[in-house]
Amino acid sequence: MSATAIRTGAMALRRPALTRRATALRTLAMRRAALTARNPRQIAVPLLTPILFATVIAPALSKALGGLHTHIDYIAFVSVGTVGLLVPLAAIFAGLSVIVDRHSGAQKELLAAPIPRALLVLSNLVVVLALATFQVIVLIAVAALRGGSFDITATGVFWFVAASVLFTVFMYGVAETLAARIPRQEEYIGATPAVAILPFFFAGALFPIHVLPGALAAFAKLLPLTHALALMRYGFVDHRGTGLHDIWGMTNATTEAWLSLGVVAMFATAFIALGIRTFKRSAVS
Amino acid sequence: MQVAYAPDTEFDWPAIEVRALRKVYRGGVEAVKGIDFDVASGEVFGLLGPNAAGKSTTIGMLTTTVVPTSGCARLAGYDVVKEPRKARSVSSVVFQEAVVDGGLSGRANLDLHARLWGVPAATAATRIDELIEAFGVAELIDRPVESFSGGQRRRLEIARALVSQPQVLFLDEPTVGLDPRIRHELLDVIAALRSRRDTTILLTTHYLDEARRLCDRVAIIHQGEIAALDTPASLLAGLGPEILELRLDGDGDAALASLRSRGIATTDAFAIGSSLTIALDGRPAGEAIAAITDAGVRASGFMTRPPTLDDVYLRLTGAPIAQAA
Repeated sequence: MSATAIRTGAMALRRPALTRRATALRTLAMRRAALTARNPRQIAVPLLTPILFATVIAPALSKALGGLHTHIDYIAFVSVGTVGLLVPLAAIFAGLSVIVDRHSGAQKELLAAPIPRALLVLSNLVVVLALATFQVIVLIAVAALRGGSFDITATGVFWFVAASVLFTVFMYGVAETLAARIPRQEEYIGATPAVAILPFFFAGALFPIHVLPGALAAFAKLLPLTHALALMRYGFVDHRGTGLHDIWGMTNATTEAWLSLGVVAMFATAFIALGIRTFKRSAVS
Repeated sequence: MQVAYAPDTEFDWPAIEVRALRKVYRGGVEAVKGIDFDVASGEVFGLLGPNAAGKSTTIGMLTTTVVPTSGCARLAGYDVVKEPRKARSVSSVVFQEAVVDGGLSGRANLDLHARLWGVPAATAATRIDELIEAFGVAELIDRPVESFSGGQRRRLEIARALVSQPQVLFLDEPTVGLDPRIRHELLDVIAALRSRRDTTILLTTHYLDEARRLCDRVAIIHQGEIAALDTPASLLAGLGPEILELRLDGDGDAALASLRSRGIATTDAFAIGSSLTIALDGRPAGEAIAAITDAGVRASGFMTRPPTLDDVYLRLTGAPIAQAA
């Protein structure tokens, strides 16, 4: 018996592993981006509520209550806070796409491809990061046009970007884990309030956490969103790091920022690893 | 530079090699009970059986989406458990249900496969154009796949599987759910794949006419075990050139027992409900009918006909394949 063995199918495995994976990741990300672009609601809907908060609710509350009674501009404070709603909604929408892919899309074809299956998760993450970046830029721009006062420096951009990227990675890890474990869209959507919306109200998105009762403030400090928002505000709104002091109670804001970044990074690493593991396990029986 | 995984020269192993392959799902359901078979390079091999016979689990193990409990399987020499990516690199699958990105164009779906299987861009472009023409989807290839009919989508999926020129092509129930006209058109398409002697095809189906038309050899799988494996002609030859089918007035099993005890029916005979089928083994039909009547078996109708794979299946499993499905 004989047959030719050099085939293009095997060519995929002949290139250097890193190049091969980078090419596959790019291909999968382009696919996800193309599918996302066909669904403008996935891009626009997560933006609506945060923009409403930043342009209507925050100015109204600021006017009615006199703001935070500190050096911090309340519109800017709430605008950054609503990133804590925007990113989870974007991630949850992306997770929904995974379920759609499984039921009526090409997921089986992708699982049959000669690529590491973790790339299927990571390529979705790349697109979520790009989408969330676009959405956050729009949100901040709209808030600035509405009168929000931001103080943006190069160092501030670093803290803001690092916190928002790591928080997005964390949230997508959560969304991917849920999408892999929950069989139906209806059940997945049912889990959205608990995962994407509830933490928003505890994490100091609309007010500083020091105004919460002691137990709730302690709970808030355990949430990665609380750390992420404190970092983003440290970067764009409050260079004194008031939110970071509320968490850590230290005097050096930079040290507190690194500590909070470490917390968000730890959650991001743990949950994206969990998301990949859960996806890979759910893909085989 | 990465070590080349694929063999550089001709190989001596079967394109598909299955040894004592077994799968027990959580809960203890033993879907596949230690099956063995080889498929030679270029062969078209059919896996026949009803739903829940173990076909899909077998395909799942060969395509690395189901982890075997024990045993082993190789595609072009690559172990599906130890070297899953290498095994996937030499194979493509056409799934039973629609597995496409409906929002993307037909061409984008083909291109995605080419990229993921590492087909060089220039080669892929040429090959995709050839396949688009060969499969008659040129006029709709740039439309979103969600606008394709069932038959058009199926053609696209088969074309997609061929973009990477797989050594092993899995066709999992490729015609299920299609209307008869489209089904026959698609059978022509699949029959044309037989000319690609460098591609080994494993086809699962519960349509026995498909298997007879398309396959070099077939394995009849029943309750997780291979009940028979041979060429369609050899399987049919086991029942002789002609069989006698009786429509009984009473219980088929009782009549069969009576005829066997008198030596009129052999172990090849089988009863399904009130229907009794007996291999004539060269006897004249009239002589057999007379013997049956003399034995006191009352029949409302008799018919002689050549055996079909359906009869082979019934003899081996005791259940009509369509009924079990």
